[in-house]
Amino acid sequence: MREKKMRNQPRNVTYTSAGRGAGRGQGSQVCGWVRGHQPGGHGYSQDLPKYITASYFAKARAAEVNAMLKAASSPAGSCRVFSALPKHMRRRAMSHDSKRLPLRLREGALRLAERSQRAPDQQKKPVPKSRSRRARRRHGNLLLEFNRRQKKSRWLETHIWHAKRFHMRKSWSFCVPLTPTAKSFRASYRAMDTHALLQDLSYFCCLELQGSEDQILRALARLTNKQTGRTFAAVSCLSGARQGILQLYKADRFPQGSLGPAEFLWRPRAPDASLRQLWIWLHPALKQEVLSELLLVCRCSQAVSEDRHPEADRHPEADRHPEADRHPEADRHPEADRHPEADRHPEADRHPEADRHPEADRHPEADRHPEADRHPEADRHPEADRHPEADRHPEADPAGRKRKRKRDGGDTGPPSKRLLGDGTRPAGAPVRWESTDTHITIRDLTMEIVRFRLIGPLAHTVLTDTLRPASEMLSGENESLHQQQTHTFQLLRGVCSTAELPAGCVLGLTVDDPRLTLPQKRGKTVPDPQLSTEEDGVRDLRLRGVPAHCSQSSLWDESTRECVTRDRLSDRELNRSRSALLVPGSRLSSSSAVPVLLVHHAGRVCGEERRHWGSGWDLLLPKGWGMAFWVPLVYRGVRVGGLHMSVKHSQFMGQPHFPHDYPDCPAGVRFQSEQELELLEKFKRRPPSKRTNFIKHGCLAPFRCPWQQLTEEWEELVSLSEETASRDETPFTVLRSLKELRLLSGWIRHRMRLRMTPDPPRTRLRMTPDPPLTRLGVTPDPPLTPAAATALQQEFRRSLIWVRLRLLSKGQPALHAMVCVPTTSDLQLLRTDGHCSGPQEPRHTDHLRDPQEPRHTDPARSDPQEPRHTDPARSDPADPERRERVLRGVCPPPLPRVVSHCSRQTLGWVTQGDFSLTSGCGEALALISLTGLTHTLLTQPKDQRGLLLLRNPSSLQYRFAQISLDT
Amino acid sequence: MAEPRSPVSASVPHNPMVLPTPEGSSLEMDPMEYTLRKRLPRKLPKRRNDVYVNMKTDFKAQLARCQKLLDTHREICIHGLGLAINRAINIALQLQTSSQGALQLAANTSTVELIDDLEPEDPDEAGEPLTRTRNNSAIHIKVFYPNP
Repeated sequence: MREKKMRNQPRNVTYTSAGRGAGRGQGSQVCGWVRGHQPGGHGYSQDLPKYITASYFAKARAAEVNAMLKAASSPAGSCRVFSALPKHMRRRAMSHDSKRLPLRLREGALRLAERSQRAPDQQKKPVPKSRSRRARRRHGNLLLEFNRRQKKSRWLETHIWHAKRFHMRKSWSFCVPLTPTAKSFRASYRAMDTHALLQDLSYFCCLELQGSEDQILRALARLTNKQTGRTFAAVSCLSGARQGILQLYKADRFPQGSLGPAEFLWRPRAPDASLRQLWIWLHPALKQEVLSELLLVCRCSQAVSEDRHPEADRHPEADRHPEADRHPEADRHPEADRHPEADRHPEADRHPEADRHPEADRHPEADRHPEADRHPEADRHPEADRHPEADRHPEADPAGRKRKRKRDGGDTGPPSKRLLGDGTRPAGAPVRWESTDTHITIRDLTMEIVRFRLIGPLAHTVLTDTLRPASEMLSGENESLHQQQTHTFQLLRGVCSTAELPAGCVLGLTVDDPRLTLPQKRGKTVPDPQLSTEEDGVRDLRLRGVPAHCSQSSLWDESTRECVTRDRLSDRELNRSRSALLVPGSRLSSSSAVPVLLVHHAGRVCGEERRHWGSGWDLLLPKGWGMAFWVPLVYRGVRVGGLHMSVKHSQFMGQPHFPHDYPDCPAGVRFQSEQELELLEKFKRRPPSKRTNFIKHGCLAPFRCPWQQLTEEWEELVSLSEETASRDETPFTVLRSLKELRLLSGWIRHRMRLRMTPDPPRTRLRMTPDPPLTRLGVTPDPPLTPAAATALQQEFRRSLIWVRLRLLSKGQPALHAMVCVPTTSDLQLLRTDGHCSGPQEPRHTDHLRDPQEPRHTDPARSDPQEPRHTDPARSDPADPERRERVLRGVCPPPLPRVVSHCSRQTLGWVTQGDFSLTSGCGEALALISLTGLTHTLLTQPKDQRGLLLLRNPSSLQYRFAQISLDT
Repeated sequence: MAEPRSPVSASVPHNPMVLPTPEGSSLEMDPMEYTLRKRLPRKLPKRRNDVYVNMKTDFKAQLARCQKLLDTHREICIHGLGLAINRAINIALQLQTSSQGALQLAANTSTVELIDDLEPEDPDEAGEPLTRTRNNSAIHIKVFYPNP
């Protein structure tokens, strides 16, 4: 019998017509609507009542019928009237125009529309009324907003320029540009390769040491070791003519306790001064550790507070004050009481002299409140005090100058932009320490000096084009020195490539304001081939670098720096005087001279190919001048790069990048944890079915490399055969000792020489020992023998070494790709077929697969006989926390043996990998176990020594790669 | 080219090394180890029709590049330094052969001054890092269509 189906009938309500048949007794009970799914239609027929009374039954149903009628006639609150209409009666924009509804529904629709209009007013929370855009964009308010926004992460001086063009990232308590929003990777590479790339490295921290040379050297000798290369006492750097790079360690703990790399620069000896000055430039991630070590070795226990801000460190709790957070400027400005916001906070008015910068001292109001020092609230913003001069953002300048001018006239203006403290130290921390014992003064100059980096062969051309030696001198400068520096600077024009100069030379210079010579249009600086320069001078410059006395600069004097920063002409004033020029477009006369330091940085110094790639110049400026130099540099056609390009720069150079490739440093460990979180988040963002199953790929650690476990396992593996297993908790280190690296490099390089020379006769020639070696009579490094390898393994048991890998054929190594040991058959395979792509890893089985997942639930496989080894997640399914932690496709924390997990033994992991534009093939930088490497090298035949396998975490394909170690 | 870095030492006392220094005098090296780092040869301002021949790029590619340049320029200059002299000559001759005598060659030789840095292994006590110059031969071949 065909069942009658009503329109709009819910699916779970069926009208059973079976009741109509005779013989079912109480037809009224069976007939009609029955709720629920009833497969046979007779679900309830068993317990029927014997009789019913019609009147009761009808009464009981009457209420239901009424409710149903009511519900059908008037739509529910949530649904619109027209949604009850059948489709053919619906019209476009019915909700907008009630006349499109049928007449009978119009009234209800109007009522509903009225209600929905009224509703938001009653229910919505009152939105805090923001000021109008016009008010918000007013300069003073904009600056207030800027100051508030950089409370957590400090902005660079070029922040606003960058923020318009770059993806910004908050890291190391700075807001640093990451990558440009425009597509520019290749263009940036080309700029590095043939022209110049500009970066703002102002976030690098500078620590200044001042004291007698002996004392400083004696103290700092504990932080470095000669085996890793340069120390602070390197002769070429000690004169101040060169900048040096070294590796810092914790005091007296050389092989362990690595801190990270640092650049250092000595101030050239002044004829009459006995004290030396030393700048140590550090990455912000390692600053705190280095600073505490420096304080230790220099025995500087005393924090000296500067006179201008004596109570800077007495109120560390200051920042916690709620009002202070909401109104950063209100209590810092004497004129805050005129500010509309300040009225809401009476204590801001009471302590206007919390503002203690020198300009405030000049302010007449500041002296009227002598009790301010005693009042704790006056110091709620100690970081405001530490920056004595208002560090005006270039774009913020007009307001700053206006305020100054108005104040002179006794008036007040909007608050000026001020850069508060810096993020690398807690608010209120001292910036200067002194030692009564060693008489060394340590100062924290973070953000005091702006540092720009130009990378590329034409960096010097851009500099000579942008900077003009000052026409008038700074006070206290030597006239003849300025002449010599100018002369040396002019000689740079005759140099064809930055790489020709000796590495790390330093040139001090005093230059005019570069905004005065800003070109009308942005162009591209190219060297002028017709330029005639004195050949002898240029030759001398290339041979010996900048003479030591020319490295002197008044940028080293704090007073000069402050003075120059203070006297900076604002953009507004500059533009005004430009518009007042008699001949439009003619050059303005300069009014200010800026001391700068030009520091050359050598590119790739070690290794065979691409030597001197990536060299360039660093430009050090007094603070506040960042934008004044930035825009003119950009107008010379340089590309601007961000953090991402710095990583790529060091990758193309084949150098480790801090903190990515320093897993043994505290900063590197922190970076790894951050990276792990980031990668895990990224992994979890994908839908589960689209995630890589790393277990199936045999990748144990896709997010974080277990270096410690790797070194321990390799040590165990190698020493098992020698029966000298030792168990202790020595942490792993990265081998940086030059002698051993050189030895290893010689062992590996044997094969590379064969590959580099194409034609057979030459190969035979080059197979003989190195010509320089024989000629100069040095004993060559010991050949690779089991004894030599064992000695090395014994000495550096838990060491990693940093190597470069180049893929022989195609393939693009990714982050955390595995470096594996090829088996003999793999090598044989390569020997027979030089273009073979490499072996395959057999697919692993995922024992951690979720048992509840229906797709994989197979009754045959879920029986208890299923092998359940290495299955911590399933062994205790009752533990909810554990189940929570286990992520599908990722190996849970207690990792099995990492070395022998796959079919090829794992040596290490890639820390940076990409297609290298410089070499035209996939290149990776990896850290591998020293023990494992020597073990591998011993087993490999001589002509295939140093061949390893590389496998990406999300792939089963191994690729052959040649290892190389540059020293 | 040759090895970029190799430990250099004169640890044999009866055979002291004599290195020419830029001043023209000679310098006796201490019995200590130095690392030799060669600096790049001086780059010259480059015109469009200059070809600097190296040993890394494929020979055929360099030849093809010269052929292509000759389509647009009446003359090109092929420069080779040191080891690459051989290859520069080879390229020039190949060009001439393939043009069936239409091209003419004019070769010049010169000497290029190269700079080596000698970095002491032990930077603290070694004194200044040394710099030495040495000379290498270079060839400049002008390949041109003679004027009709």
